[in-house]
Amino acid sequence: MYEILKVRNITKSFGGLTAVNKLSFDISSGETVGLIGPNGAGKTTLVNLLCGSYYADSGEIEMDGKHITRMKPYQRCRMGLSRTYQIPRPFPELTALMSVVTSALCGKKRTNRGLDDAAAEATHYLEFVGLFSKRNILARDLTFFELRMLELARALATTPKLLFVDEVMAGLNPGEANRAVHLIARAKEEFGLTIFWIEHVMAVLMEAAERIIAIHFGEKLAEGTPEEIANDEKVIEAYLGSGWRKTDK
Amino acid sequence: MVDAEIKRDRIIIRYKGKKWDWMLEPRYWRNTFIWTACLLIFPILCYFISPILLNTLITANLYAAIAIPLGLMTVGTGRLNFGPNFFVGVGGYAAAILSIAYGWGPLKTLAPAILISLISALLFSPLVILARGLYYVLLTLLLPLVFLEVTFIYSDLFKGDVGLAGIKLLMDLGDVKINFLMIAYLSIFLVLLYLLVVNKILKSRYGLIMAAINDDEEVAHGIGVNINMVKILAFVFSAGMIGVVGWFYAHYFGTFAGITYLPLTFMVKILLVIFIGGRAQVFGCVVGGYFVAFLEMILIATLGNIQPVVFPIILLILLFALPEGLFGIYRKRRYREYLPTLHVRR
Repeated sequence: MYEILKVRNITKSFGGLTAVNKLSFDISSGETVGLIGPNGAGKTTLVNLLCGSYYADSGEIEMDGKHITRMKPYQRCRMGLSRTYQIPRPFPELTALMSVVTSALCGKKRTNRGLDDAAAEATHYLEFVGLFSKRNILARDLTFFELRMLELARALATTPKLLFVDEVMAGLNPGEANRAVHLIARAKEEFGLTIFWIEHVMAVLMEAAERIIAIHFGEKLAEGTPEEIANDEKVIEAYLGSGWRKTDK
Repeated sequence: MVDAEIKRDRIIIRYKGKKWDWMLEPRYWRNTFIWTACLLIFPILCYFISPILLNTLITANLYAAIAIPLGLMTVGTGRLNFGPNFFVGVGGYAAAILSIAYGWGPLKTLAPAILISLISALLFSPLVILARGLYYVLLTLLLPLVFLEVTFIYSDLFKGDVGLAGIKLLMDLGDVKINFLMIAYLSIFLVLLYLLVVNKILKSRYGLIMAAINDDEEVAHGIGVNINMVKILAFVFSAGMIGVVGWFYAHYFGTFAGITYLPLTFMVKILLVIFIGGRAQVFGCVVGGYFVAFLEMILIATLGNIQPVVFPIILLILLFALPEGLFGIYRKRRYREYLPTLHVRR
């Protein structure tokens, strides 16, 4: 257990709106960390900052002892950071297999990686998420759940150390959501991942996460085990609402 | 003995333990050889039937030779460049000025023409990163027009008003007709070379990466593609290829004037080639090139002066009537194909 990601006082504002305000936390390797917060709390902005889609105004991000605050997204990806998107963003004109091949080609640097080698490896990830039978179908023709799974396969194919999962449950029915959660748990075991999981559905994180960080208006409200978070006065007030009972789970 | 057998979809021929089969359905034909043979026979036919057609043929090939790298550029950068004729101008002027100043032949000017095209493309390559959507379209559209103005302003160097004359010819074999025939074959060779190179690139891993960039730049960046490098490489490489066409024009006619290649009328023809051929279909560009060149010839013969007005109207009609292009009718949709069709990013 070492600290794979260290975040120190990162701040990001859009015009007058401060989306993320002096946020600091650590993620240890092998952990599943949950992130909760009400709508507009800055959850997705935080992931965008960590993955490099935006640059932080101030503060530092450190991964494996290297400063990645100013690194570009592809450099961070090659260091072992990968993400899925809240709304699936597939390559619509590519087949399912070829989308995964692209990330197997470009993810972590491996010597003498050709198209065939990448295709062989991509097949494994596609099989893992259960899309092997749909490998030759264009991504734009897949269903919403299949797109989610394709995103996951694409993220896994870059061989990440740390995987950001952005609201995997959104728009899925309970059966599909259950499959998705189990798949992520299996991926964590099989590929030895560290998972940073953003979620609205509290019940999922209560089971899956070992530690939860709650944010509100870009500031950290509380951090601790799921039980501590569920019983935290401030979190209940800001996010869960007065209607929340632990027995509801 | 030779043993032929007709199955439902194919003819199977067996001879001494060897087996050949020929698909009857046209969409399964491996048409590379047929098309190449057609291309190679065409100039000879024209030579005997009507040598004037050879000029149209060369024009058609050169349109295709501009459109093929433009397809690569469009896929690689994820943006549609509206000013490919800028690089025709750069390559052509480089060859023309060097040939007139130092008396160099076409072989000597080829390398400098490519080099200057590459350098100019590298100079303007930040556009690929900074501008997107309509801004990119507008900026690339302005490049050749600004260059045209430059040729008028620095008239003592570029001779923008009369054009540069006295460039060494591509080849001189004595007979004019034979000359034209050989130049036609040279232009066909150029087209075939470009088809081979661009198709190889698009089918390789770099083609796949370009397809990903064409679909969604940000996601491609997120999964580890160095998008800026790929985009600049695609831009510069195809600009060099287009520059060679400018070199060809300069040495083919012996004169070079920016007013012929840099204005919008020329650009509309190239766009027409692309839209008829099918978006990002490199093989379609050849079909489109021949279509446009022969249409142009017929229009000049029948309509005369209003011919430049007719081209954009045809372009508009085709955009609505045939969004996949003429080649799209021929090409059936195949799911295994991962090469994308082009779309202009907004």
